[in-house]
Amino acid sequence: MNIFNRWLAKFLPADEYGIDDASGINKRYKRFRISLLTTLLTISIVPAFITAAIGYFQYRDLLQTTEKEQLLWNLEGAQKTMQALINELHSSIDFIIREDRCEEMLNPETLDAMLVRLKAKYSGFVDLGVIDSQGIQLTYSGPYKLKGYNYRVQEWFGEVLARHFYVSNVFLGYRNIPHFVIAVSKKLPDSDDIWVLRATINADTLQKFISTINTKASDDIFIVSRSGKLQTSSRYFGNAMEYCPVCEPSSHIHEIVKLQGGMGDVLQVSAALENTPWMLVLMKEKYIHQAAWSSFRKRLLLIFLGCSVTCLVISYSLSTMLTSLIHETDEKRQSLLTDAEHSNKLASIGRLAAGVAHEINNPLAIIDQKNGLMQDLLGLTEDFKYKDKFYTSIAGIQNSVSRCKVITHRLLGFARRMDVILEKIKLNELIQEVLNFLEKEAMYSRIRIELHFQEDLPEIYCDRGQLQQIFLNITNNAIDAIGKDGLVSITTKLQETDVVVQIKDSGPGIPPNILKHIFDPFFTTKAPGKGTGLGLSITYGLVKKLGGEITVSSEVGKGATFEIRLPVNPDKSAERDKDE
Amino acid sequence: MKSVCRLTLTNQQREIKMSEIKVLIVDDEVEFAATLAERLELRDIAAETVNNGKDALSTILIRPPDVVILDLKMPDLSGLEVLQGIKTHDPSIEVIMLTGHGSTSSGIEGMERGAFDYIMKPIDLDLLLEKINQAYEQRKNRRKQP
Repeated sequence: MNIFNRWLAKFLPADEYGIDDASGINKRYKRFRISLLTTLLTISIVPAFITAAIGYFQYRDLLQTTEKEQLLWNLEGAQKTMQALINELHSSIDFIIREDRCEEMLNPETLDAMLVRLKAKYSGFVDLGVIDSQGIQLTYSGPYKLKGYNYRVQEWFGEVLARHFYVSNVFLGYRNIPHFVIAVSKKLPDSDDIWVLRATINADTLQKFISTINTKASDDIFIVSRSGKLQTSSRYFGNAMEYCPVCEPSSHIHEIVKLQGGMGDVLQVSAALENTPWMLVLMKEKYIHQAAWSSFRKRLLLIFLGCSVTCLVISYSLSTMLTSLIHETDEKRQSLLTDAEHSNKLASIGRLAAGVAHEINNPLAIIDQKNGLMQDLLGLTEDFKYKDKFYTSIAGIQNSVSRCKVITHRLLGFARRMDVILEKIKLNELIQEVLNFLEKEAMYSRIRIELHFQEDLPEIYCDRGQLQQIFLNITNNAIDAIGKDGLVSITTKLQETDVVVQIKDSGPGIPPNILKHIFDPFFTTKAPGKGTGLGLSITYGLVKKLGGEITVSSEVGKGATFEIRLPVNPDKSAERDKDE
Repeated sequence: MKSVCRLTLTNQQREIKMSEIKVLIVDDEVEFAATLAERLELRDIAAETVNNGKDALSTILIRPPDVVILDLKMPDLSGLEVLQGIKTHDPSIEVIMLTGHGSTSSGIEGMERGAFDYIMKPIDLDLLLEKINQAYEQRKNRRKQP
């Protein structure tokens, strides 16, 4: 679990304080998005891929097994057919040398007649010969003069004596035509003598017969000797008598050999033919289920691609959404932190200001009194040369003291935490009251004040005096900003649980670099002595204390808009006040 | 901006002069108290100064004033404590609180505890004179009643 958590911590866009530039932060979120996307894709596409692969191989194996079984079934059929042919040839020859007809066979005419009858049945028969136990050919019917030829030393002769039936491999012989030999031996009834009937048959017979076994299931069917020589022609390996390289290792039992032929996978099954030196071989070039297989593959690919695309789309949108959500949350938190910092700054500045103001206030009171005393005494003194100058100086001091007094009082007011006295207030009426103070000033400056009040505005619980101060400050500022000829419009409206007051002026607007510091204490753009730079910071503090928000937006040349948002519900504001 | 007021004795002030109001100024700022006393004397108001709460309370016993001008913020005994002492000794002595806080809340607190009024530092002498006059009137009325 620990390892997982550590991995997760690495993965998430951790807080890296100190990275202030936007590109660094953006890079961090981009990295997070990419790793999230990668993870989502991995956990969605990998299982899909595995499933598809399992399906692919499973289905392929299934098809292969089915096809193999079909080929084997075909092989069995072909084997039976071939076996039937061989048995028929065997019985035909066997019939000729029936026990009672051995004597007849010695007559060449009878043998000729037999050959004619056999030829009628199988055109491939070339000759017939009767051989005695010593290997000497007694009679011969056929195109060659082979009567009296001794076969005793030949290998097949020994075999036919031992096993009574023999089928040779296909060979070329004198005539240079592929043919094979069937020989049957018979024991004479009266003696121990053995006679052998030997028939030569053209390999054509075999070829023709095998061509009739045409199975749809196979691409190639042929007979091969155990030493790998083709007995019939093959599509793949050439004509009879040629060497078939792949058939060599074939044994008697059914076997499936998978070859890497020139045209891809070739499936091969083979079976030994009884009483012959031959093997029957069936070959299948491609799968019979080619159509089913390709359509399956197509469908599989389609489904897999569909899955992948869906995963991709979902993962992409999910990762994008999550990243932007985290980004937003982080930004919100950052702005909260900034806000808190700002209020802290204001609070500490306020404490400092209060301290300074208090220290200055006492000496100021003394200066004030001393100055007053001087004035009093001057009034009691007879006229002297510079009396008027003294009066002017005293008046100057009085003026400066008054200015200082205003500053210290405002400073103290800025810092003090007066109790908020909540009462039901009709905001529209309150603003009207405040405007009564300012009407004359606005009139002299030819400034029109437009009111857009929402009539059914709910009464809010708030501190009357502080609210008056807030609106007085802002409206006064607006009038000051315009100077002469202009418009101040005041809008009130209800937004959710807050009452919003917008005070918009047609003044010159506030440049962004000033806008940033507009609520900072002692920040002023007015000429020295005209403003303390405390008005807006006091207003800011008051609004905050009442649980509200004050924001300002402005564009140079388009005036400025102050928006004050006050909660209708006072409980929350009181709580927030406590927290500060 | 206030115009500089020249010292000319008005009819009302002459009346006060006739009535011989006795004022006690209590402030730890010696210079402030002395100067204020001098200015009041010039207006024929008998003013005495003390610079801490203890002295204020002892002075009241010896030479009871009509009106006490009392600074709120002082070392040792605070203005509010002195106010309590004065009011327990003689409730008819009127007290005007001097607040340097720039906040009205401490002044209001003083009034809740029996002060006649409060005035913010730096003070406006005309306003103070008016308040002294009013306080004196109230003291006279209170004395008549019992």
